Amino acid sequence: MKDARGSRLHGRVGRRTRWIKPTIVGMLAAFTAWHIFATFLWIAPPSAIRSIVPGNLLSSYMLPMFGQSWSVFAPVPINGDHRLEVRASVETAGESRNTEWVDATRAELSMLQRHLFPARASIMASQVASDVKQEWEKLSEGQKKTAAVGFFRGADWESRFKRDLGVKANRPQTIAARYAKADHVATAYATQVAYAMWGDGVRAVQFRVTRQNVIPFEDRNVPGVKPPAVQIVPTGWRGTIEEPGQSRERFRETFRRAVLESGQ
Amino acid sequence: MKRSSEGKTTVFGRLRYAIGTWIGGIWEVVRDTVGRIVSFSYSWLTDGKHALYGLAVGRVVLGVTGIGLLLTNFSTRYYFAGSGSAWNGEGVDPLSSFPKIWIFSLFRTVAFNDVVFTLLYVVLGMLAVLVIVGFKSRIVIPVYFVGWVSFIELNDAVGDQGDNMYRIVLLTLIFTDTSARWSVDAWLRTQRPNSRLNFGGLRTIVPDWVSATVHNLALVSIACHVCFVYASGALFKAGGEPWRSGYAIYSPLKTIRFGVWPELSDLVLASAPLVAAICWSTIILQMIFPVALLHRVSRIIVLAGITGFHIGIAVLMGLPWFSLAMIAIDTIFIRDVTWRATGELFRRGIQVDRRSGADLDESSSVGPVAAGRRTAASGRKMARPTAPTKVGV
Repeated sequence: MKDARGSRLHGRVGRRTRWIKPTIVGMLAAFTAWHIFATFLWIAPPSAIRSIVPGNLLSSYMLPMFGQSWSVFAPVPINGDHRLEVRASVETAGESRNTEWVDATRAELSMLQRHLFPARASIMASQVASDVKQEWEKLSEGQKKTAAVGFFRGADWESRFKRDLGVKANRPQTIAARYAKADHVATAYATQVAYAMWGDGVRAVQFRVTRQNVIPFEDRNVPGVKPPAVQIVPTGWRGTIEEPGQSRERFRETFRRAVLESGQ
Repeated sequence: MKRSSEGKTTVFGRLRYAIGTWIGGIWEVVRDTVGRIVSFSYSWLTDGKHALYGLAVGRVVLGVTGIGLLLTNFSTRYYFAGSGSAWNGEGVDPLSSFPKIWIFSLFRTVAFNDVVFTLLYVVLGMLAVLVIVGFKSRIVIPVYFVGWVSFIELNDAVGDQGDNMYRIVLLTLIFTDTSARWSVDAWLRTQRPNSRLNFGGLRTIVPDWVSATVHNLALVSIACHVCFVYASGALFKAGGEPWRSGYAIYSPLKTIRFGVWPELSDLVLASAPLVAAICWSTIILQMIFPVALLHRVSRIIVLAGITGFHIGIAVLMGLPWFSLAMIAIDTIFIRDVTWRATGELFRRGIQVDRRSGADLDESSSVGPVAAGRRTAASGRKMARPTAPTKVGV
C-alpha cells in the first residue's frame, strides 16, 4: 500500500517546501519523546533522575490527565479488611431507642463475593472505613479522645466537634481537618444507612470502624490459630448529615437488597 | 583524506595522519550509523501506519471493557454514582479534579437527576458499542473519551488504576487510526474504494505522512507506557518483603475485599511452593516485559504469561475491567500478520496452513520495531537502509 497516493504527495510537496516535512516530523517526535520521558519519570519509583526536570514541570504536565500510580499491591499488599457498622438513635411516638448494629461492609460486599463482575457499589463502605481508620491513626491521643465522644445535640454539633478537634477554618490539610472530613463523610453515609434501615425517625447515628488482619502467612497451618485481634476506631454518636441532592430512596433500594443478600 | 607528501615524511606528520585517519574513520562510522537510524526512524514514522490490526483489536476490547463496566453497574448506578451517592460529598467537592474541568463536568451536573443521568448512561453505553464496531471512530472515540472520563470520575473513591490506564490509552488512541481494520468504517470504505472521506464523512485534508506520523508516535507512546507500567510494577514489588519471600498474593486473597472466591483462593494458596512461584514469576514477567518483546519466542511467552496474570487478577481478585483494559493494550504487541492469520482462522474455521507462517518474518507490528528504536542506539542491526518499509498491510 505504499501507493501512488504517497508518491503523488511527495511530488506535491515539491522542492521549495522540502524542509516542511522533516521539521514537522521532528517536532512531533520531540514532543512524543518528552511525553514518554515524563511518563517514565512519573511511573518509575522516585529517583534522582526526576531532578533533571526543573521545578514542578513534571507534575504540572502529568496531572490530572496522566495521573497514575503503579505501586499496586506493592511493596506490601493489603493484609486486612475494614468494616463499617452503623446504629442509630430512633424516635418513634415520642420515644427514642437505640437500634442494633448493621454491618454495611458485609451488606455491600455481598455484591462482590462470588461475583465474576463485582459492582463498584460493593466497596464504598470499605473505602469509607479505610479512610476513617487511616486519618484516625494520625490523630494525637487527645484528638482520639475527642473523636470517641458523642457530638449530636443541636444544629451546631459539627462545628463544636471540629473546634474540639482543633480544626482551623483556613487550613483544610491539617491532620485534624482531614480526620474531620473523613468523619463527616462516614457520618453522611451512616445517616443514609440509618434512614434505609430504620426510617425517617433517625435522630443520631453512630458508626463503628474496625480492621481485622488476616492470619499471617507463616501461621496459616498452625492448628487452632486465631485471627489477629480486631483493631477498633472508637467514635462517638453524631448528628445526622444529609448532603444536597441526596435521594434516600435510591440509597435504600440498593442497600436494603444488599443487606438481605448478606443474610443480616 | 588526501595529505601532502611533505607532511607524511616527518614522524609527527605521520602520527598526525594516522590519528586523523582514525578519527575520520570513527566519525564516518558514527555519522553513517546515526544517519541510518534517523532515516530508518523517519521512514518508519512517515511511510505508513503500523499495528493497524493490533490497534483494531485494542479498540474492540477497550469498547467491551467500557460496555461491560456500564452493564454490570447499571442496576446500582444511582447508589454508586447517582442521587443515592450524594452523601460522599463529591457533588459539592469532587475528589478527582476532572469533574471540575468543564469539558469533563457533564455527568457531575446531571448526577442527581435520575432521568437525565440514566439517559446519559445509556448514551455512553451506545457510544461504547460504536467504539467496538468501529463506526465513525475519528469522531466517536473523542466523544466517548470525554463522556467516559466525566462518568468514571464521578466517584473517584471506588476507582482503580484501570481507570487511569483506560483514560490515558483512550486519549492516545484518538491520535491513531483504530478503525482501519475490522470495523464498520473499513467496510464502508470498501463500498466506496476511491473515496477519501475518512473523518466521519468529511474529506481528509491532512497529508498522509502527517496522519501516519501521529499514528505511529501515539503507538510508540502507548508501547513505552505499558513497558514502564510493568517494569515499575516489578521494581515496586521487588522492594517488598512479602514479594521477595514469595507469599505476597496470600494476604490479599485471604481478605474479603480481594478474595472474591474464597474456595478458589484456598485452592491456589494450598501449595506454598506454587504461591512462591506465582509471586516470583509475576515480578520476573513484569521486569523482562520490555526486553522480551524483542524476540518472537520470548514475546509469545511474556504476553501469554502477562495475560494469564491478568486473568488471575480478574477472576480471583474481582477486578475484571482493570484486567481487560490491560489485556486490550497488550494486543498492540501482537503483529498484524498474526492477527490476520487469526482472523483467517476464524473465518475459515480451519487450521492455519503451516506454510503461511513463512510471512511471519514480515514484521509490521509495534513490538519489534518500537523496541528496535531503543536498541538502535547500541546496535546496527535495526539500522540497515534496506530494512523493509512496513506499511500496515
